[in-house]
Amino acid sequence: MKLSPWRRALLAMSSLLIALGLPAPAMAVYAPNYVPINGAGSTWAANAINQWISAVHQNSIRVDYSAGGSSDGRQRFLQKTVDFAASDIPFQQRPTDGSSPENPAPGSYAYMPIVAGGTSFMYNLKIAGRQVTNLRLSGEVLAKIFTGGITRWDDAAIKADNPGLTMPAVKVVPVIRSDGSGSSAQFSLWMQAAYPQIWSSFCSSRGCGNGAASFWPSFSGAISKSGDLGVASHVAQTYSEGAIGYVQYSYAKNASFPVVKMLNAAGYYVEPTPLNVAVALQKAEIESNPDPAVYLTQNLRNVYTYTDPRVYPMSSYSYFILPTVVSGNFSEAKGATLAAFSTYFECEGQQQAPDLGYSPLPRNLVEASFKQIEKIPGAPKGGRPPLESCNNPTFTADGHNRLADIAPQPQACDKKGPAQCTKGTGGKQNQDTPVNQAAAAANNSGAGTGTANPSGGASAGPAPSLSYDPLTDQYVGAGNGRGGGDPNVAAVPIAMPSGTGWSGSQTLMLIAGLITLALVLGPGIVSWMLRRRQ
Amino acid sequence: MHATNIAPEPAAQGTDAPVDPRPRVIRASSALADRIFRGGSRLTGLLVFSIMGAIGLFLALRATEALRAVGLDFLTTAEWQPDVHRFGIAAVLTGTVLIALVAVSVSVPLATGTALFISEIAPTWLRQWLVSLVDLMAAVPSVVYGLWGLVFLEGSVIGLARWLATWFGWIPIFRVEGADPTDPLASASVFTASAFVAGLTVALMVAPIQCSVMREAFSQAPAGEREGAYALGATRWGMISSVVLPFGRGGMIGGTMLGLGRALGETIAVYMVISQVFEIQWHILRVGTNSVSSLIALRYGDASGFGLSALMAAGLALFVITLVVNFTASTIANRSRSGAQSEV
Repeated sequence: MKLSPWRRALLAMSSLLIALGLPAPAMAVYAPNYVPINGAGSTWAANAINQWISAVHQNSIRVDYSAGGSSDGRQRFLQKTVDFAASDIPFQQRPTDGSSPENPAPGSYAYMPIVAGGTSFMYNLKIAGRQVTNLRLSGEVLAKIFTGGITRWDDAAIKADNPGLTMPAVKVVPVIRSDGSGSSAQFSLWMQAAYPQIWSSFCSSRGCGNGAASFWPSFSGAISKSGDLGVASHVAQTYSEGAIGYVQYSYAKNASFPVVKMLNAAGYYVEPTPLNVAVALQKAEIESNPDPAVYLTQNLRNVYTYTDPRVYPMSSYSYFILPTVVSGNFSEAKGATLAAFSTYFECEGQQQAPDLGYSPLPRNLVEASFKQIEKIPGAPKGGRPPLESCNNPTFTADGHNRLADIAPQPQACDKKGPAQCTKGTGGKQNQDTPVNQAAAAANNSGAGTGTANPSGGASAGPAPSLSYDPLTDQYVGAGNGRGGGDPNVAAVPIAMPSGTGWSGSQTLMLIAGLITLALVLGPGIVSWMLRRRQ
Repeated sequence: MHATNIAPEPAAQGTDAPVDPRPRVIRASSALADRIFRGGSRLTGLLVFSIMGAIGLFLALRATEALRAVGLDFLTTAEWQPDVHRFGIAAVLTGTVLIALVAVSVSVPLATGTALFISEIAPTWLRQWLVSLVDLMAAVPSVVYGLWGLVFLEGSVIGLARWLATWFGWIPIFRVEGADPTDPLASASVFTASAFVAGLTVALMVAPIQCSVMREAFSQAPAGEREGAYALGATRWGMISSVVLPFGRGGMIGGTMLGLGRALGETIAVYMVISQVFEIQWHILRVGTNSVSSLIALRYGDASGFGLSALMAAGLALFVITLVVNFTASTIANRSRSGAQSEV
């Protein structure tokens, strides 16, 4: 695997730091009289937060974080049972999803962005017993899948997105979040902006309106699990073939599962890599109204429609909700600890984000976050480190996000058209999925010119009349002399349960045989043994 | 002994007063230790009672707001959207009862067999081992059972669930919509996260309790009757069916009910295994079910004010049901100790 330059630099720097045994620079600013603090909230951001927590442990900062969903975090912040909350969306004062209004005391809190990332669609799909790792879907298909509109993987719309794959006639099993979740809320906001009809027809019968839906309405055929981890681990089960769920990119990476490449406004299918997320969020509108109830909150309208070919449309920021007054259990000592922790992850901690599957914050947000940190009671006033010492991988001299510069253009085979890339995604980067001949031919012609040429595939040279594909164990190519032969002419290979060798039925048969044997021989053996003992 | 005749003879005083037929009241001047013990036991007894009462009262008070808002609809609504006043326990209660029934119908034969084997058949050296093994099963935390159910059992039980649905699908409770046995590509997901899987997991958790109660009852069958049965030419099974089982019947019923009570309230293992749906789902093999306790576990974090009150109402319903089940169980178990149920 080739390392991108900045990642190489990061590796070199981190190994240097380890070699010299240097403490993190930001930590030296505060006196180490830290008290344990606790927080709760987003499971979307939990992988990053937990990484930061274990990183600051060596500086004797103790943070306890319980990932129970964004709604849970906001509620516990309101009840003052936690010192801070992590939430993907702001407080919902007028919720439309049937949950109760959240009314924080004005002026008692502030929002601070902590990390960016892509809400990815992790799936479990096999063709001919081989895991698919290069699935691509348009936004409309995703919207329909999670509203019950598309129920089979061989739906015409999915086939159109994946010309290189012979989609199996397997049921789609959408896995949704059962708890109040920022991921659900972001997904619903995206759907309302991009496909308002699909959303409103889905929602009208289920008592939800336009607005962030933290509780995804359950529908027939869907499986609901709590937490990103619950969704990811359900999708990853071997029996969950056909399942697709929305989780943060890092969860798919951790589970070693591929994610959907989503169609963006430029007509490219794009993976939610940290770089693509960074590109997308250049268009995020960050609220500059200094009213603390809205300051720094995000509006992602323009992200969804941004026409850079590298954009992953479902990109978003996640936030901390910081207390700005001393009340309840929250003291100035806790505030100092929270400020030190926050300063760490706004700078140094962002270095670790890309490896986990998150995207680091850009300079303007870090700058604004520093001002938010100063509002925490107990935070050192004016003692914040200069931005130049902030070791954040996105920083450039003029303030734009460096990751957006180095984000590579998508390959030609990722453009909407007859071509389809074979490379794996998410946690299956190294496992390619072969595509059928038509798409492969389109790939070659596309790669030759370096530009995506949808017509290139159809005019590709004549294919051999019939060729054996050892990967899919079938003969492909209809032999009609056209490279763009209908991929659906070939028989769709399927994996039969009996074909996979040992399975549940064999186990049951074995157990039945053993029980029969035990019934016949058992009593004799037992009585003989008992007699011998006497 | 003439314990009742130790009253002093009035004649001894030489008077002719009629003899009081009532026995004299004996006042034992109990020692200080006795009094402290008696007072202490009385106090703890009252304390347990008042704590139970306080919990019930607390639930009832907190639930009033929600119950008043929806009235009797609380029992018939399947949805759970408390903040728009559309919520009820129809779906969660159905799921709770189905999960508990699956659990009990699996665990009772298992526990009965184990208890009979331990108390009647197993050789003495093995008996101790088995007893401690069963106790060990009871000591495993429920989150471990939940993990096991989620990661291992759920995937392994698909074959059995599919077989049941294919051959017994004509029984409504085993029917699975969306499962087509002739379609080799049919997703196995439809058989996962169901009341059946949750029930099997809970069955393993309640079986040890049931087993200990039953074993206790079986071992109390009198030796005289056992030997009498043998003397009349009964085989071991004949002895068990004519002496041990009738003597232990109260214990069996009591153990079953105790297990049922625990199965009704089991939270975390069920929460981890099931996929929560808010509709009345009678088909135990089909994906999606719900239970009162897992509803509370899922929603209490996000709930505030009225939502919390609605959850309290659901908790109150579960509290009442569990209380009824446990009272029935302990009444039956108490009656059986005297052997009053015995037909011998």
